Amino acid sequence: MRPEEISKKTEQLVNIKIEDLPPLPPPYTNYEETPITPLKEEQKKKWEHSLDGVSALTLPRPETPEEEERLVKLFLSGLEKLMTKENNWTFLQPLMLSMEYCAKCQTCADACPAFEMSGRKDIYRPTFRADVLRKIAKKYLSPGGKILPGFRGHDIDLNWETIARLAELSYRCTLCRRCTSVCPVGVDNGLMNHELRKIFSQEMGIAGPEIHEKGSVKHLKFGSSTGMTKAAIADIIEYLEDDIEEKTGKSIKIPLNKKGAEILLIHNAGEFMAWPENPMSFAILFDAAGIDYTLSTELTGYDGVNYGLWYDDVQFARVALKHLEIARDLGVKKIVIGECGHAHKALSVIADRLLPGEQMIPRESSYTLLNEIVKSGKIKFDPSKNDFPVTLHDPCNVVRLMGIVKPQREVLNAIFPPGRFREMEPHGVENYCCGGGSGFAIMSSGNFTDWKRLVSGRKKLSQILNAFQGEMDPSIRKMVCAPCSNCKGQIRDMLESYEVFEKTGIWYTGLVELMVNAMVDQEKPFLEWPGDEDDDDM
Amino acid sequence: MGFLQILTYLSGLVFVIAFAAKLLKYATMPMHVRWELYPIPHEGKEWGGSFYEEVDHWKKTRHKDHMAQYRFMVPEVLFIKALHEDNKSLWYWSFPFHMGLYLCIGGLAFLAIGAVLQILGMVPQNSALASLFQSLTIVLAVPGYVLGTIGILGLIVKRKTDSGLADVTAPIDFMNLIWLGLLFVTGFIVWLQDPGFVVSRAYFVSLLTFSPMKEPMGLIHVINLLVFIGFWAYFPFTHMTHMVSKYFMWDKVKWDDDPNRGDPGMDSKIKKYLAYPVTWSAEHVDAQGGKKNWADVATSNPWEAKEQK
Ligand code: SF4
Ligand code: SF4
Repeated sequence: MRPEEISKKTEQLVNIKIEDLPPLPPPYTNYEETPITPLKEEQKKKWEHSLDGVSALTLPRPETPEEEERLVKLFLSGLEKLMTKENNWTFLQPLMLSMEYCAKCQTCADACPAFEMSGRKDIYRPTFRADVLRKIAKKYLSPGGKILPGFRGHDIDLNWETIARLAELSYRCTLCRRCTSVCPVGVDNGLMNHELRKIFSQEMGIAGPEIHEKGSVKHLKFGSSTGMTKAAIADIIEYLEDDIEEKTGKSIKIPLNKKGAEILLIHNAGEFMAWPENPMSFAILFDAAGIDYTLSTELTGYDGVNYGLWYDDVQFARVALKHLEIARDLGVKKIVIGECGHAHKALSVIADRLLPGEQMIPRESSYTLLNEIVKSGKIKFDPSKNDFPVTLHDPCNVVRLMGIVKPQREVLNAIFPPGRFREMEPHGVENYCCGGGSGFAIMSSGNFTDWKRLVSGRKKLSQILNAFQGEMDPSIRKMVCAPCSNCKGQIRDMLESYEVFEKTGIWYTGLVELMVNAMVDQEKPFLEWPGDEDDDDM
Repeated sequence: MGFLQILTYLSGLVFVIAFAAKLLKYATMPMHVRWELYPIPHEGKEWGGSFYEEVDHWKKTRHKDHMAQYRFMVPEVLFIKALHEDNKSLWYWSFPFHMGLYLCIGGLAFLAIGAVLQILGMVPQNSALASLFQSLTIVLAVPGYVLGTIGILGLIVKRKTDSGLADVTAPIDFMNLIWLGLLFVTGFIVWLQDPGFVVSRAYFVSLLTFSPMKEPMGLIHVINLLVFIGFWAYFPFTHMTHMVSKYFMWDKVKWDDDPNRGDPGMDSKIKKYLAYPVTWSAEHVDAQGGKKNWADVATSNPWEAKEQK
């Protein structure tokens, strides 16, 4: 399908069929998968779905032709602003280079898990949405753009279909930038998608509801994208302290708002709710290693997420500046980022050039610090307590986009018996996204969950299953270490949807939980496997 | 001076101005936020690691392994290594085409040197040096024409027959390939007619001395020259100048991991950018049509304010 066909007036451009998708590895070779749930008639009337029958944005259909026209014009003005230094100094250079230089070789297509796992549907090619954007810019915004557009390859119609499909299409890419790694001329299709989302958000107010209204807006309004308020976090911390005592017998005080502490530790607040063992483990390890740290209960200070990273520079900057301000007010020497991949990249890398140097606070990955703790010998670990096969998921944001590859591996090698840790293939900087990147892990509007299950999460599920081939007996418990909240959420959803634990014994956790489980002075197993509580009850 | 010479100068002028303008356009764009992609060769960690793997990295002196950048870039430019690794079926044609082009450019450079020697009175008949450069011209240009033609033919067939490529290839892309193909084919025929490139060298001499040719060139020479002149002037306006993105996207984007440690140059840029007016229209940006700048919108929290009211 040519990118120009995006403007076709048809009910739906593409249909995802199970039989077109690449098969999953054993024991799922003949597994009967559930297709994408079609939208109901009333949903179809309300929401745009003409790209692939999926609605991730629940984007309302314009009610009048005038409204359509207004939105089309708004898109074009957004694209124009995107190409100015005043409105887009943050990404102008890589954007313009990527706009101008695609050599149309399609090397990027084979690197993209979404394209591959969709059964190679053209609309998911990394170049497809980028090409549409290029063609619109050439035809409608460049001088002489309407001269011989067919011959020059940009004869595209800018109508509401184009805009509505582009909006949805910008939420079919996880921004993993695997395509960018292989492009022989350096074109960054991941970035092009990021920029496309910015037009929708910054100019048109259109974004994934979970990442904007229920995400960054809640973050700035209540203090956390989970909606958790300052008052609630203090209560939650108390519960965590009780739980730590129950699980370890240790009475540990988690420091809050401690002025002058060495470190401000920021977690993804989703951990407090979905995986409280994760912040508990940090508290146990930092206490045992004698680390001088604090958590914050200031607005945004207890939630390290920054959803703006995926769709909106303004929202991004607002949250990042808050994080830095809180650290400065506390007088800490550095910020340590918990197990959250996008929080790592947001605060360490992207926010690095938002303020003059003297206003910056050093930021460090928890992986690095945890490895330092292991190497220091301050905590004794007994690898035999982790005597089960384990594999490691590399969060794109931390690995390909930040170059933190070794520390987490060194930790695993120190806390597992030899031969228990095996890599996924490929791994490290060539890894595949979990399928929940760029906000997908938390997005579940319309029937998008089905798309994630069948398409974006498929590659990682295949990699996980492949890592444990030969040991698929469910009685052999196996673990995926996923040291990132969003990746963990996506992997959890995949494992649950495909009943992976029941069929193969594979489960998931973070890095710190595995560390605590291996601590010599931890009497009871710290890790919990599905069904453990039932066993205890018996 | 002849018409062809004037056209050649004009074409060269267009090339230089347009290419320089292109370089200048990208070189003067604002410093963007960091957007690096690992592995970064200068980090010197072959597994793709970065300084973030070290605790308190900001307290340590950074060591950049600049040679590693060249170890990456030289095979990349010469052999299109990335394409070889990730898209071999295209590399089989793209590589001979690019290599053909490099060899022809090399041949042209030696031809120019031969012309300078000729102006100084050294011609292959009386000078070993001139003879050497004549041989080098032939040794580079002729295989260049052959490889280039093979590559171009392969690329045209591949783009026609591979549905993934056919869908993204426009008529103008085929025109570009055919144009380049004509350059190689006519160059080859020129060599068949003029095996020592004597006429071509004489043309170069006329260009360098601003004087007319002593004898008019044959038809195939003229055709080859016109094809070249046209392409030279057209080239900087096309995406075929992707050596520009190769430089900027690697050196200034994918490998730009310089942390902000209070460097005065970086600080002053950031201050300047934060003062740029914002005109994004979405309500939540609250830019007030450019009344607010980046510092204003980034330090405001519209929701916190509403909560407090
Ligand atoms: S960034 Fe990732 S998901 Fe998006 S197009 Fe590139 S490879 Fe595909
Ligand atoms: S690999 Fe790069 S040059 Fe080739 S099609 Fe993809 S973006 Fe374009």
